[in-house]
Amino acid sequence: MDSLNISRHISGQFNEDLERIINLVMQMGGLVETQLKEALESVSQGDEDLAKKVLSNDYQVNNLEIVIDDECTRVIAKRQPAAGDLRLVMAIIKTIADLERIGDEATKIAKVTLESLTSKHKELLLNLDNLGRRVLECLQLTLDAFTRMDVDAAFKIHQIDEKIDREYEALMRQLMTYMMEDPRSIPQVMSVIWSARALERIGDRCQNICEYIIYFVEGKVVRHTSVEDMKKL
Amino acid sequence: MISVTPTAVADSPNKIDLNNLTPEQVALDIKNLNLYYGEKQALQNISMAIPKGQVTAFIGPSGCGKSTLLRCINRMNDLVDICKITGEINLHGENIYGRHVDVAELRRSVGMVFQRPNPFPKSIYENVVYGLRIKGENNRRVLDEAVEQALKSAALWNEVKDRLHESALGLSGGQQQRLVIARAIAIQPEVLLLDEPTSALDPISTLTIEELINDLKQQFTVVIVTHNMQQAARVSDQTAFMYMGDLIEYNDTNTLFTTPSKKKTEDYITGRYG
Repeated sequence: MDSLNISRHISGQFNEDLERIINLVMQMGGLVETQLKEALESVSQGDEDLAKKVLSNDYQVNNLEIVIDDECTRVIAKRQPAAGDLRLVMAIIKTIADLERIGDEATKIAKVTLESLTSKHKELLLNLDNLGRRVLECLQLTLDAFTRMDVDAAFKIHQIDEKIDREYEALMRQLMTYMMEDPRSIPQVMSVIWSARALERIGDRCQNICEYIIYFVEGKVVRHTSVEDMKKL
Repeated sequence: MISVTPTAVADSPNKIDLNNLTPEQVALDIKNLNLYYGEKQALQNISMAIPKGQVTAFIGPSGCGKSTLLRCINRMNDLVDICKITGEINLHGENIYGRHVDVAELRRSVGMVFQRPNPFPKSIYENVVYGLRIKGENNRRVLDEAVEQALKSAALWNEVKDRLHESALGLSGGQQQRLVIARAIAIQPEVLLLDEPTSALDPISTLTIEELINDLKQQFTVVIVTHNMQQAARVSDQTAFMYMGDLIEYNDTNTLFTTPSKKKTEDYITGRYG
């Protein structure tokens, strides 16, 4: 927590406000991670109960987003944060929006489990496993980097997303071929594609969060910047 | 992928590069300024260029030297016996501490407004024309014109135009402070120094003065000392952070309040103990 350097305000109340917000973000991050893990597990094991659990827990992620938003608004109104504090609050407001969307993507993945797929088509879902594992790891690393506000880690994760994108494209090609060979499978393959797409989007959102970490720590805006340009900054 | 630097897009249109000011852009050029009160050094080798037609704020904790530096700009510290100053403050390329400088003339070019409104116990009209009368201006029409202009510039005209010959002491604190600003600008100075001009005012009067400061920079170079950091953030184009007589960081206000480069600045503006 002290890497965020928030405990040294003259106002102890301000320290408490920021600490509370950060704890809530951690809690939200943990919840989103569990949602994604369980969504992937429900897909790979065909566990419909687990998928239903993911769907029913999404409201908790949404609630946390609203609570944190509210806390941040109050801090801005009451404390008028500046410099690092302001960047922290801005980074948090943006991070929780991405976490909330990651939660939504997890529910999309879980929904695939509930679709009535034939055993043949269930094999298709195995294709998601590798991508899913990599994306989950990416999310875990991102949340870890956020906790420590670790810029180096954020830069590295930013690059992992490129690998995710490549894997996603490879998977797409594979699924396209499948559809071309057997057009009757298109509806089923499409649900796998939606899941793959959801995973790819999660990777993008992790990348966003890494950009907010870099913004908070370095004060540099690296959004919409190519990796080459980022290195120069 | 578009490779623009996003920060460049967000810069305000009137942003200037403080490190590369042309001589025409500079109102005051402070060079190696040291100030001692007896044995104690209150300002340590201050060098900075204050740009023309902009608002520059000095911030820092009590005793950091910000008011002392402000007072140096129109030689108010001359009145302190034990005060010794080395270095230069150049106005139009001439050092105001030079041997042949007429201090009264300097103070006509560099007006000052203090923390507490200090109108003279005279009418509103006489307060505004005070400086002009000292200069020997007695033409009624010229004076009338100057009063209207100054009071309009100070955003006070509409409130007092029907009682110009009533005592200035009957005005509210916020009105008195605007009257004092009108008095200062009636003689058309180049630079206006404001020493915590709103610290004795209520929040609404404060906002009126802040709005006024923004208007004033069209005509004058404004230098403001304030304890209120949010005020500095709101009204100034560039901000100087001072600490124990040193100029720690001097940068455009947007940068200083979002991404300060020095830890001491960060600690101060975020309310941390150093």
